[in-house]
Amino acid sequence: MGASIAIRGVAKSFGTGKSRVDAFGPADLDIAPGEFVALLGPSGCGKSTLLLMLAGLLEPSQGEVIADGRQITGPRTDIGIMFQDNTLVPWRSVRGNIDLQLELRSLDPRGYEARIKDLIRTVHLDGFENRAPYELSGGMQQRAAFCQALVHEPQTLLLDEPLGKLDAMTREAIRRDLQSLWMRSKPTVVLVTHSIEEAVQLSTRICVITPRPGRIEKVIEVDLPWPRDLEVRKSAAFVAEVAAIHDIFRRFGVL
Amino acid sequence: MSDGAVVKSDPAPATRGRFAWSKKWLMPLFFLGLFLFWESSVFVFSIPRYILPPPSQIIARGWADIPLILTDTFITGGEAVIGFAIAMMLAVPLGLAITFSYVLRHTLYPLCVSLEMTPKIAFAPLFIAWLGFGLLPKVIIVFLVCFFPIVLNSILAFGSLSEELTRFCRSTGAGPWRTFIKVRLPAALPQIFVGYKYAAINATVGATIAEFIGSDQGLGFYIQISSGNQRPDLAFAAIFFLTALGLAMFGAVTLIEKLVIPWDISQRRRSKA
Ligand SMILES: Nc1ncnc2c1ncn2[C@@H]1O[C@H](COP(=O)(O)OP(=O)(O)OP(=O)(O)O)[C@@H](O)[C@H]1O
Ligand SMILES: [Mg+2]
Repeated sequence: MGASIAIRGVAKSFGTGKSRVDAFGPADLDIAPGEFVALLGPSGCGKSTLLLMLAGLLEPSQGEVIADGRQITGPRTDIGIMFQDNTLVPWRSVRGNIDLQLELRSLDPRGYEARIKDLIRTVHLDGFENRAPYELSGGMQQRAAFCQALVHEPQTLLLDEPLGKLDAMTREAIRRDLQSLWMRSKPTVVLVTHSIEEAVQLSTRICVITPRPGRIEKVIEVDLPWPRDLEVRKSAAFVAEVAAIHDIFRRFGVL
Repeated sequence: MSDGAVVKSDPAPATRGRFAWSKKWLMPLFFLGLFLFWESSVFVFSIPRYILPPPSQIIARGWADIPLILTDTFITGGEAVIGFAIAMMLAVPLGLAITFSYVLRHTLYPLCVSLEMTPKIAFAPLFIAWLGFGLLPKVIIVFLVCFFPIVLNSILAFGSLSEELTRFCRSTGAGPWRTFIKVRLPAALPQIFVGYKYAAINATVGATIAEFIGSDQGLGFYIQISSGNQRPDLAFAAIFFLTALGLAMFGAVTLIEKLVIPWDISQRRRSKA
């Protein structure tokens, strides 16, 4: 089971004076252990900024981020984070890049053979283990980065548009795998996405974020049965949920 | 219709074939043509031999003096290689230290930038006055012309790790040493090699000019004496060997680069072309 995460009055601005950009907040949010929360909002509303603050990689200008009751003051190493731009290094193969996560943590990749094989199979990269990142398509790189972010079995996952560059079919397959992974071991997941459908399909709750400066306009409980397979997605309840969120964004003027 | 399509697609391979031919021969033909032009111009315009000798004469006279030219090539090459190698070893650690030390960044860094702007050759007469005609002042001058480009490129190299990768490393909790070995150093190598290549070009230039200013051996000295004796044919022969020396050093660095960072984008493009 993953950690609980809370933010209290968290806001972030970049720069000072005239060049100051209010990127996010202030906002409050409580995420229970094992929840799957989507951050949904238009481009530039501060989703990545919030995610970095949850990871302890960016200090809030105001307020505090709390994990399992303790205030976060530095980078959290117990999480798996997937950045918006992938963090594959060009001098290592796909497999080597996955190992890099372990090596940087002083873990022995040999102890993770089975897990790595499993992850690679999940994202359909079998046979590409020894390819360099530049030999992969953008979507394949993203899938490799997904493995890199998850290999050390983190119980909290922060994912910044992990499926953004994927084609519809692969995206569908990986959503399903992500969902079953979450249902199996109930990590706490925070997923940044542009896709309303994706948010509704995967999350227990959706944070709807307003255009810049991003504030959490609304937190929507998604009350649909699990697993959210094709049947559920065709259901009237699912469609209505998606339509309701569409309306919210139309009111922001971004749709 | 389908026939027409086939005919239309035909010229492409033919053009490619022509390019393949020219790819192989264009460069040698160009240089051959250049030498022929030079050779014939000297005769056609009856240019005096003591001003511009034809290539045939340069080759013949140079060949006659080849033992001395080779000895001087080794001397100049030795100065260039030693100075370059010392710069290569010392400059990267200094660049690293400057990148990560606040104090050095505000003291040695501005000093290095100023010294890079200074023509190092201007120090040559001083070094020769202080240290005499021997090997040492030349090595120091070569070292100086090689050192600063490598330092500045190393600073650029170590300072430009992407924010995303920096964050990735921090999120793993890896210490500075582990981060350096696994990520920072390999990520910095392509830019470090930019500095190395620049320095390799500077090295022979530095050695030659140092020899102009004060020496009794080496290709720089040889060129000076030959020119003074109105023997431009011998000077040209020496210049040819200097060029070969420069190419050899640049080629060696490029080869090492290819072996060390085959994954870098510059290497990839070349291998695809
Ligand atoms: N390092 C920074 N310096 C200055 N401004 C920044 C910085 N990082 C982000 N911003 C600003 O903060 C705002 C939010 O950025 P952020 O990357 O969090 O948006 P986002 O919601 O993730 O957008 P997208 O969906 O396009 O990725 C933007 O207006 C951006 O210009
Ligand atoms: Mg973003």
